[in-house]
Amino acid sequence: MSANSKQSRLLVATRKGLFALARTNGAWDVESVSFLGDNVTRAFADTRDGTWYAALNLGHFGVKLRRSEDRGKSWQEIAVPEYAAEDKVATGDGKEPAPAKLQLLWELVAGGANEPGVLWAGTIPGGLFRSADRGASWQIVKGLWDRSERMQWFGGGYDAPGIHSVCVDPRDARTLRVAISCGGVWQSRDGGASWNVTTKGMFAAYMPPERREDPAIQDPHRMVQCAAAPDHLWIQHHNGVFRSTDGGMSWSEIQVPPSVFGFAVAVHPHDPQTAWFVPAVKDEKRVPVDGKLVVARTRDGGVSFDVLREGLPQRDAFDLVYRHGLAIDSSGERLAFGSTTGNLWLSDDAGENWQLINGNLPPIHAVNFE
Amino acid sequence: MAKVVLASALTRHLSDASGPGEVALQTQGATLAEALGEVFARYPNLRGYVLDEHGGVRHHVAIFIDGTALADKAHPQAPVSQSTEIYIMQALSGG
Repeated sequence: MSANSKQSRLLVATRKGLFALARTNGAWDVESVSFLGDNVTRAFADTRDGTWYAALNLGHFGVKLRRSEDRGKSWQEIAVPEYAAEDKVATGDGKEPAPAKLQLLWELVAGGANEPGVLWAGTIPGGLFRSADRGASWQIVKGLWDRSERMQWFGGGYDAPGIHSVCVDPRDARTLRVAISCGGVWQSRDGGASWNVTTKGMFAAYMPPERREDPAIQDPHRMVQCAAAPDHLWIQHHNGVFRSTDGGMSWSEIQVPPSVFGFAVAVHPHDPQTAWFVPAVKDEKRVPVDGKLVVARTRDGGVSFDVLREGLPQRDAFDLVYRHGLAIDSSGERLAFGSTTGNLWLSDDAGENWQLINGNLPPIHAVNFE
Repeated sequence: MAKVVLASALTRHLSDASGPGEVALQTQGATLAEALGEVFARYPNLRGYVLDEHGGVRHHVAIFIDGTALADKAHPQAPVSQSTEIYIMQALSGG
C-alpha cells in the first residue's frame, strides 16, 4: 500500500461483537460480524502478516484472545497473558493487596517491523506482556512489573491500574513507551528490561497539592506517537492534553476547545503537528459539551485548534468516545470514531466533514483501520 | 464415575464440542479436581473458562455437586463418588 492510499476496512470492537466494515463503491457496509453477543474489547489487524486479533471479555468465563488468518471468517483461540500465583496488585489509594488476575486486555499492538510475530499486550491489573509467537504464549515484562512504584499506581475507571497505550518506536523496536491509568508514562530502551517514568510537565488536579506532579499517579487516558516523527507524542490526560517533542521525556500542556477533558487522541502518521481529539464535559458527566458533538484538530502543534462539527450532531448528543475509539488511517486523511451509543462516524478529509456510517451498533470500545 | 455436565453457555465456546447445548461426560476421578482434569483433557480450552490462572474456580462460574454449590472455589478438591453429578455453569450474578 502506498503512503497516500486510504485504508478501506474498519475493525470495530463493541460490547456485542466485532464488526468489520468495508468500503465498496463509496459506501461503508458491515462486511462481517464475529462473536455476535460477546464483549470484544480490542481488535487489530497486524499489517506485517495480515492476521486479525480480537480480545474478548466473556465476563463469567474471563478474558480470551482469538486469532484469524482469513480476515474473520474463522477464529482460533490462543493464549492470554496470565499472572503467576505470587503476583499481587497493590494500589496507592489504600486498597488491600490482592492476587493479580487478568481482568482486561486493554491494549494489543504489533512489535517492530523487523520482529515478525512479536506482540505487546497491556492489561488490567497493570502488567505488560510480550509474545514472540503471535499470541501462542505470553511472558510478563518483569522489568516493569517488579518496579516498587507500581504499588503507588491507582485504578482509572477500574479498581486496578491498567496499561492502555503501548508505542513501539519505529526507529528501534527495543524502545517502548507505555501509558498507564493511573501510573504515568514509562519508557524502556532495551526491549523492556529496564524502565524509567517520564511525566515531567504533567499534573494531576485530583491529588493533594503535594502529590500533584507525582509521576506514579498521573492518569494519561491515551498516548499516541507520530509514525514519521516518533519523538512527537500526544496524550489525552485526565486533567488536560499534553504534548512531547523529545520522545516523551517532558510534556507541555495544550489548551483544547471546547474542553480539555476526553479520552481519545489521534496523531497524523506523517505530520507530528496535526492531532485530533473528541472533547467532553470533564469528569463527572463525560458527555459532549452542550450536547454538541465535535472533533478538535490542531495543525500547528497545539497552538491553535479547529473545532470540526460538519456532519456531527449539534443538539442532544450524548456520545462518549473511549480511549481506543478514534482511529486514523495510514494516509492521515481518513479518520473514524465510534461512541458509547453505538454511532460510527467517518471522515475522508482529515475531519472537515463527517458522515455517520452506522448508527445502530452496540456500544463501541475500539476502532482500527485495516 | 462422577457425571460432569457443562452448561450450554460454556459449550458454545468449545470448537471441539459436539454441538450447542449441554454436554455430559463420565469421569473416573475420586475428587472434583481429578474429574475436572479429565474434562480439561477432553476439552483443553475449557480450563481457562472454568478456572482462573491460579487454579481457582472463576468468580462468576458456579459448580454444583449433587445440587450444592461448591463453597471453597479457590481449592476445588471435594471428594466425588460414582453417583455424583457435577454441574458447571455461569454464576447468576446480574440479569
